[in-house]
Formats: sequence, C-alpha cells, structure tokens
Amino acid sequence: MTKRIAVYGVFETLAPVVQRYWKRRIDGVLQRYWKKTTRLKKVTMSGRYEFHGRGRDLYKAVVRAHRVMPRGYVDVSAEKFLEHPEKYGQEGSWIEREVVS
Amino acid sequence: MSIQRSTVRKVLGLKEKWCHKSILGYSDTETVKLDFDNASFKTVRYWARRAMRWFKLGGFLILKSSANHYHVVFNRCVSWSENMHVLAWASLLSHNKRAQRYALMQCIKESSTLRVSPKKQKPSPRIVYRYGKQGGRILDFLHYRKMIKNIIRKVNVCEPCMS
Repeated sequence: MTKRIAVYGVFETLAPVVQRYWKRRIDGVLQRYWKKTTRLKKVTMSGRYEFHGRGRDLYKAVVRAHRVMPRGYVDVSAEKFLEHPEKYGQEGSWIEREVVS
Repeated sequence: MSIQRSTVRKVLGLKEKWCHKSILGYSDTETVKLDFDNASFKTVRYWARRAMRWFKLGGFLILKSSANHYHVVFNRCVSWSENMHVLAWASLLSHNKRAQRYALMQCIKESSTLRVSPKKQKPSPRIVYRYGKQGGRILDFLHYRKMIKNIIRKVNVCEPCMS
C-alpha cells in the first residue's frame, strides 16, 4: 500500500497583477477581458499537497515542499513532484496562520 | 591545523529550533477519523465507544491535540462512503459544531486528514486512550505517524531555523 502524507497551510507568494480591458466583439457586445501583466504582487493563499509514494521520496518531497508552494490542491506522487516541482508549485514561503485540517 | 578567526562568519547552531510553518498530516480514505474540538475527554470517549459499537469498528485510539481538542482513529478498514456515513453520524449526533465543520471539509477534499506535526504553539497529538482491537488501521496509522515524525526530526536537524 502506498504511503500518503498531507502538507498544508497558509503561504505567501508572488502572483501576477491582472489588468482589465474591454473589447468590442463582432456582434457589437462590449466584452470584458482580463490579462496578466508582468508586474508581481505579494499574496497570501492557502494550499495543500497530498504526496503518495515510497518513504525516501516522501521525505525528499516534504523537504522540497518547504520552498515550493502548491498551486491550489495538488494530489501527486512524490516521485513525479521531485522530477518537476515547478509544474506543481511556485516559489514562496509558508506562514503561521490558523488552518483547519 | 588552526582555523583563522576571520573565516568563521556565522554559526548555524543546532540549538535553535527550526520553525515548522507548514503542517504535516496523515491522509487516507479507508480509516475512520474524527476530530472533536471543544469537547471533554469523557464526551469524546463516549462518542467513540458509541460509534465503535454501532458500526462494529473493532477498536479505537484517542489522541489529544491540545486542551479539549481530541482526535479519534478507528480500527476497521472501511470504504469512503461508509467512512463518510460514520463521520456524519458521529458529528451530527454529538452536536459538536467543529466536528460537523471537520466532516464537511473532509467531504469536500474526498479524503480525511489528521494532523501529526506541531502547529503554532500546539505540540504533536499524543495518544491518551486505547480501546478494543488495535491491529488494523490503527497499526497503519501509528506506522505512518512514526514515519512523518521521523521526517520532521530529519528536516529539523538538516535545516535549523535562524529567525
């Protein structure tokens, strides 16, 4: 049976600032769109990793997860996470905040 | 061989405790787990015994996470639907609002989780009571708990906190 560990909490990370713009469609309706700018702002988010796999991989994944913050709810094998951590998360730091398990 | 005084810039002391800000927990779908907050030990034991007898769960383990906060782990392996059945039954009948909230959150996540690592000022949950059979899911839970604690210990040694 595979071993499963949850790493969760609240973290701070840099997210792109979104900008609103309007564009008239062919049918004449003024449509609102959002685009991501290159500017970044610091945001506080909550997220969660669900790692499963071998003990050694789990240990490495937990250590890696201290620097790489999850993109929402991430359920991934520890081995795959270690291969491409940037695919499942982004740079940031965990902060102490009340969370429910 | 002597080390020049100027070469040592900073001491990364192991005495200082590393701040573990993310939380590590045990998560699965086959073990029935309850989280009773703002409840006395006797109340928790009463509801654990009642649930165990009603659903024939074999045995249970009570862990104290902090004052008046307890976790319960049952022994029998169950399906996810039966797991949710027990969780909803116990949380509704006990009239514990926090337990009901916990049950809802596990439904959303589609797997139930209990904390193993310390959280803020709270230490790791400690075992305070055992009842009935302990050889099934409880044994697995204790095994994973030990593994997670080993990981925390290793990480603490490797990366001491400098804040």
